[in-house]
Amino acid sequence: MAHGHNSKEKVVFVGDSRVKKGSMVNIPPDFTAFPGKSEAFIPYFLLKEWMVGVVVLVGFLVLTIAHPAPLGYPADPMNAAFIPMPDWYFLFMYQLLKYPYVAGDYVVLGVMGIPGLAFGALLLAPFLDTGKERRFYRRPIASALMLLSLISVVYLTKVSWDHYQGQLEATGTKPEHIIREEKAREAYEKGQPAPSVVKRAKPIAIVAEDDPALELMKQNNCLSCHASDLNGNSGIPALRGIGDQFTKEELANVVTNGNGNMPAFKDKLSAAEIDQIATWLSKQKKAE
Amino acid sequence: MFKGIYNWIDERLDITPMWRDVADHEVPEHVNPAHHFSAFVYCFGGLTFFITVIQILSGMFLTMYYVPDIINAYASVDYLQHKVAFGGIVRAMHHWGASLVIVMMFLHTLRVFFTGSYKAPREMNWVVGMLIFFIMLGLGLTGYLLPWDNKAYFATKVTLQIAESVPYLGPYIKELLNGGEIVGAQTLTRFFAIHVFFLPGALLALLAAHFFMIRKQGISGPL
Amino acid sequence: MSNHEHHDTAHQPVHRKEMTRRQFLAYTLGGTTAFLAAGPVLPMVRFAVDPILTKKTEGTYVKVVEESKITSEPQEFKFQIHQVDGWYESDPELAAWIAKDDQGNIFALSPICKHLGCTINWNTQKDNQYFCPCHEAKYTKEGKNLRVAPNPLDEYDLKLENGFIYLGPVKPNTKV
Repeated sequence: MAHGHNSKEKVVFVGDSRVKKGSMVNIPPDFTAFPGKSEAFIPYFLLKEWMVGVVVLVGFLVLTIAHPAPLGYPADPMNAAFIPMPDWYFLFMYQLLKYPYVAGDYVVLGVMGIPGLAFGALLLAPFLDTGKERRFYRRPIASALMLLSLISVVYLTKVSWDHYQGQLEATGTKPEHIIREEKAREAYEKGQPAPSVVKRAKPIAIVAEDDPALELMKQNNCLSCHASDLNGNSGIPALRGIGDQFTKEELANVVTNGNGNMPAFKDKLSAAEIDQIATWLSKQKKAE
Repeated sequence: MFKGIYNWIDERLDITPMWRDVADHEVPEHVNPAHHFSAFVYCFGGLTFFITVIQILSGMFLTMYYVPDIINAYASVDYLQHKVAFGGIVRAMHHWGASLVIVMMFLHTLRVFFTGSYKAPREMNWVVGMLIFFIMLGLGLTGYLLPWDNKAYFATKVTLQIAESVPYLGPYIKELLNGGEIVGAQTLTRFFAIHVFFLPGALLALLAAHFFMIRKQGISGPL
Repeated sequence: MSNHEHHDTAHQPVHRKEMTRRQFLAYTLGGTTAFLAAGPVLPMVRFAVDPILTKKTEGTYVKVVEESKITSEPQEFKFQIHQVDGWYESDPELAAWIAKDDQGNIFALSPICKHLGCTINWNTQKDNQYFCPCHEAKYTKEGKNLRVAPNPLDEYDLKLENGFIYLGPVKPNTKV
């Protein structure tokens, strides 16, 4: 029986109806047509394949260390000076759309027609080129079409890239990631930290914090609703930066007569005191 | 001990044939660069796969720091590249790997084309390979937007403009990719989802089919 | 001696410890595999574990309140700290319960209940104890856990300077 079986040797269950007898249906062509011209996948073939992999990996790691990925400035939809560029492997299609007869009224041809035909033909190549011949020089049409497409792709990519370089030169712009790198290097040479390009909403500072008006407001419970840090609460406006939204007269009016949930203070405060508070509040502007 | 564990599993699942099948199958000599140096052209497929694995791994690690949100996307990329140790290298791997995978795949496609290896009985594998090619281009396109810098933003805007010029369906395609009226918050999350979940899922399925067919049909014989 | 040894080996069957060709290839393949895996993965792993390897910043002290306002009855004071969390910088508000003990030493307790992290309050049950509304945990004025909670309340590092109280990072309770 299987229990109490301690041997490290493999047990082969016999007659277990759940397990199909191993029948290797998945036998690939064994290249018997080339006797002595084949070898085992592991280790012979894989080892050589991976030696090539090692060479590529070393080159790749050197590239990643030497050239960090470019990063420009945060996206700004209002930036009119930026010259848009797709990644290099889309350039040929990008360039194609610049030619007459594939742009303007004929843009369908440029967007759908030519790329659709080219990629469609590539996708269905085995069904278009059905001959038995495999050597490329014995099937001139297929090879010629492929070479022609290759040449045009390379040509379009080059034209597009040269045009971009020309534009950069003509407008005197440098790609953003290069400007960034230069600035970071300059800062590094001066011993400063790299300039931060991430824009951040700065908390609005309180203007003239030692003004007696603030003390007056504390005494009259203004801050119990508008919060002791003047940042407001849910539904209650922050008093920081309130001077950007209201004039002194409007503020004095709200304090005197109230507004919505805001109680009127005309009974608790004198007109002079309200004026003092409104003056101080109107100074609460966001620092530029 | 490892032998014990292996035998325990093998008794139950009979795993030996699975890996022996892969390990021992015969491969023709003419694809091995050690025999004919010119056979290095047969390595591009394997290299494409190797770079793809690097892409998947580096992408997984990058998402530990990246957020797909228009306010934080740029800041998080900036942070992971400049503040996290090796961040520059990991992002460079993903950035340059994206280009390298296209190059390798392109060379692999040319090799298969010029050796006529796509001919019967391997037509289906060629079609699957081309689908992989399209998926890779889609990954490149969607990944380009994610850092949310000016280059990413304007390139995507132009791409979507091009998509809009498709007759009849164009405006719908554009709006679907935009996730709204403008290239903005919803575009970014959409492109992120497509780049990280949809296309890689399709890619893995197609790669499995590609390898299964290679294994089933073997490498095409010498010319 | 050497002659003797030589004599010995000469009579034994030649038994050189040599690898077979297949073994050598297997080891080479293993080494290459390891390199191909480690090359890309090691930088990524270093990238991922960066948070535990970065130097923790020294806790900074934040000015909270005048020393003269502290009584033997605990009072709650709010203060803001500047927090840098990766790419996200914020100024969250923290609270501290500050009081004088019997010797007149000022101490500040964190209001985070040590049971499950709710926020405690002082004397809501009119028994001069800290009370957590979630599971009715109670603490003495010094933060000693009386019921439910497993540990005493945490304490803030505290510094007195020019009549002001400065609070620093949180540390385990030192009063009880």
